[in-house]
Amino acid sequence: MNTHMSKDLDKVRAAAQELHGAISDAVVKRGGAVKADFEAVGQKAKSVTESVKTSLSAQNDATKKHLKDAVTDLEAVQKHAAEALKNSGQAFQTSIRQTLADARASVQKVSEALAAKRSAESRNTRN
Amino acid sequence: MRNYLAVIFDDTGKAYKGLHALWQLDNEGLITVHGTAVVHRNDWGQFEVDTKETHPALATAVGVGVGALLGALAGPAGAAVGAAGGAAIGAGAGGVVGLTTDLVRADTRDQAKDETAFVLGIGQSAVIADVSEDSTSAIDSRMSELGGIVRRRTASTLRDDAWDDEYLPYSYLYPYEYVPPGYPLY
Repeated sequence: MNTHMSKDLDKVRAAAQELHGAISDAVVKRGGAVKADFEAVGQKAKSVTESVKTSLSAQNDATKKHLKDAVTDLEAVQKHAAEALKNSGQAFQTSIRQTLADARASVQKVSEALAAKRSAESRNTRN
Repeated sequence: MRNYLAVIFDDTGKAYKGLHALWQLDNEGLITVHGTAVVHRNDWGQFEVDTKETHPALATAVGVGVGALLGALAGPAGAAVGAAGGAAIGAGAGGVVGLTTDLVRADTRDQAKDETAFVLGIGQSAVIADVSEDSTSAIDSRMSELGGIVRRRTASTLRDDAWDDEYLPYSYLYPYEYVPPGYPLY
């Protein structure tokens, strides 16, 4: 068992999951509340991006690759969240959908990074 | 190894216990869960997917996406039906999506019917999951304790059967433990 050996990435993934949860809740809400929610989303995405970048140095190559992909997706979250704040109508809806898709992709990449790290640690423990 | 799973339970309550157990295994570091969804097959044979989404068109997209994944988990014929976009969907109230398979390809119809029924019978519920696992024993034993039956296909096999590069099955699965409001918690 490799319980909590990958704790750094567990925390990063939890933050990315929380970001996705916040965006999907805002999308479901619709209406006026969404714009206010999206101001917070941009800040949160920035903070998660920094966490992923900080965790990069301590990882093996396979994990690093997934995390770099996650950074790209998180930067797209920031970009589309900023666009959502400027847009209205259909363009606004498109921006929030893109933001959600980018956030989902970023969690997936961090999760794949975590799986790669856990698998490597598990192999090391067995050897 | 990267696998997609359908864990079949006799009722919804057990399915949500199974969902929770899956995420607990992740928390223990024994597996890594990338995404999950819970689906039900009602008394009329229709499939329902639990989702946060309330917009009918978008709820439909979730239903089509999870329906394609469920079809792919059923086997090659189910995958062909899913990939052909042969799922007819209706959105219900409360963020639930209903889907009935419209088997458009006559050559796969009978096989697909058998295989999808094999995955999920009437009145049953299933946890659909995308996981990385070094061994299948952790999930198999925990789900067995809860009365769940695990159907598993490798991600690579599934992809070979069904999907083009543009279809991202994970995007229809929640990347965390999502339980709709009103459902009993384990």
